[in-house]
Amino acid sequence: MLESAYMQSTFRSNLSVVWNEIVKNIKTLLAYPTIIVFWAIFPIFWFIPFILQGQAFVGGLESTNFAQITGTGEYIPFIVIGAVLNSYVNTLLYGMGENIRKEAYQGTLDYVLAAPCNKAYVLIGKAISESLSSTIFATSQLTISVLLFGMSITLGMMLPVFFITILLILGLYGIALIMAAFSLMYKQSYDLSESIGYMFYIFAPVRYPIESLPTWAQIFGKLIPLTYALIIVRSFMLLGTDFSTVYLEVIVLLIIDIALLLAGFYLFSWMEEKTRKSGAISHH
Amino acid sequence: MVSNKKSEVFSIQTIDLTKKFAKKMHRGIFGFLRREKSKNKHEEKENVTVALDKVNIKIRSGELFGLLGPNGSGKTTTIKCLSTILIPDEGTAIVNGFDIHKETSMVRASLGLVVGGERTLYWKLTARDNLMYFASLYKMQRKEAKKRVEELLDTLQLYDRADERLEDYSTGMRQKVAIARALLHDPPILLLDEPTLGLDPNFARQIRNQIKELSEKYGKTILLTTHYMDEADQLCDRVAFINNGKIVAVDTPNRLKAMVKEKELVEVVVYRPPADIEKHIRLLLPDAEVVKLIPGDENEGNPSRIKIIGGTAEEHVGTVIDALRQKNVRIGGLNVGVPTLEDVFIKLTGAKLTEDGM
Repeated sequence: MLESAYMQSTFRSNLSVVWNEIVKNIKTLLAYPTIIVFWAIFPIFWFIPFILQGQAFVGGLESTNFAQITGTGEYIPFIVIGAVLNSYVNTLLYGMGENIRKEAYQGTLDYVLAAPCNKAYVLIGKAISESLSSTIFATSQLTISVLLFGMSITLGMMLPVFFITILLILGLYGIALIMAAFSLMYKQSYDLSESIGYMFYIFAPVRYPIESLPTWAQIFGKLIPLTYALIIVRSFMLLGTDFSTVYLEVIVLLIIDIALLLAGFYLFSWMEEKTRKSGAISHH
Repeated sequence: MVSNKKSEVFSIQTIDLTKKFAKKMHRGIFGFLRREKSKNKHEEKENVTVALDKVNIKIRSGELFGLLGPNGSGKTTTIKCLSTILIPDEGTAIVNGFDIHKETSMVRASLGLVVGGERTLYWKLTARDNLMYFASLYKMQRKEAKKRVEELLDTLQLYDRADERLEDYSTGMRQKVAIARALLHDPPILLLDEPTLGLDPNFARQIRNQIKELSEKYGKTILLTTHYMDEADQLCDRVAFINNGKIVAVDTPNRLKAMVKEKELVEVVVYRPPADIEKHIRLLLPDAEVVKLIPGDENEGNPSRIKIIGGTAEEHVGTVIDALRQKNVRIGGLNVGVPTLEDVFIKLTGAKLTEDGM
């Protein structure tokens, strides 16, 4: 008998669960070759409507009215940053719930749940693999922005941007865990993901500055982690500021992250217990 | 070996294990607004299905124990409660000395689980990838996992195709991978839920041999659920019959068969029997212990059968044929023989064990 299964989980064994979950998800993803085509081509097509729409409205790639509100006249880099960070929302929100639903459908969820490891690490592995595909997508978008629209990116600027992106992803993991919990109980979370995704898109400053929203909507928008991530990253990349200017936003983002992660893990373990009691755990 | 010494004699012991499921009622579009508590106990009872009703079984260490029953009798629910996938409503079970309520993680580490059916693995991954992934869930270090995976691939004759995706495997080969997964952490107890379901006879035989070897050579305690009578008869040291969530009988296959062994069995294959045929024959054969019509599906080439146990077969044959002729029932065949485990089940419960009566 191998006794490792009976032992307390160690940092190494937990890390192994996370790593193997990522490897499994990436290998499964790569088994569908069309996804590569999607990653390679879609970021290029994604820009075209914005350029055409902007040119039709303001007759060029810069707007003075836009500059008065945001401090920068170049609306394309503004929107690119919005899109790049919003792509993490999309993949994590839809991906996590869908991943759990798929596990239930293919009959593997029972085996994952019947294993002695801590399931939190399986979920972390799932969340990281979902955000990895977003990172590839985001990198393509940024590369195109630099090449086509002269967006300037320096290494010194990228480090704090990377840090804020990690903070955003942590908060989104919390929401993704909530989606996974709903998927476990109700066997689909697509509608909820769709609703939350739309709310983020409307109330967070993805395509327009938050000042464009009515006051009540701005208050709502300030409860969303994406709002803070966008404000901070745009401040770094478009206005050239540093942490001393946006430290309050960073603190609020951290607080929201902690609250969402705690809520996510709590809700998932609560729903898991509830479904094990009701018998819904094996349904799909 | 890791186990709780207190109950080493029994690897699995269930104590009044009870599981109820709420029936899913269609309440209309705005049903959620009308979701009120049941007014009385009778109404509450009607809205609940009792899947396991105070199940008590004791499985000795190293024993190959069969749990037999028709579809929906509670076999899979028992397996799911023991493997901690479901939480029982009442009662408990001790697995390898660990309580399923209090020591969930130790119970999980003590078990290997195989569920029959098409999809229980990642089809887009190779056999090796599947096994490496599940090894990590059992806290195995990479080096240890790699060695064990190689061993199992070799033992189960999967080595040559270990790097092919499971989508290219036959159902039988996938079931072998599922068995390899259950053995990854070398658990002392295996829960096998219909492991030969849907397999062709050749693979089913291979899997049965594998189960026998795991029991005899490696001393594993095995709980096997099946509705194939021959399989249970051939493999199991002891068998429990389960019907409507209740254990009806537990004993060795031979002792169970002895309950009807001395009696003679007449089995008649019939086409389109009228609904009252069972009652009609029973009236004509008052000394028969069991008269049971087992409906078949003639479109599927599986005609109905009438089983008569007890009394003298020689006398019954003529009476039954006369009775069937009176009712204009076409007879497809007639057998006089020794009762099987299925006949014992029919005698004990009055219900048939399988759809096809195998």
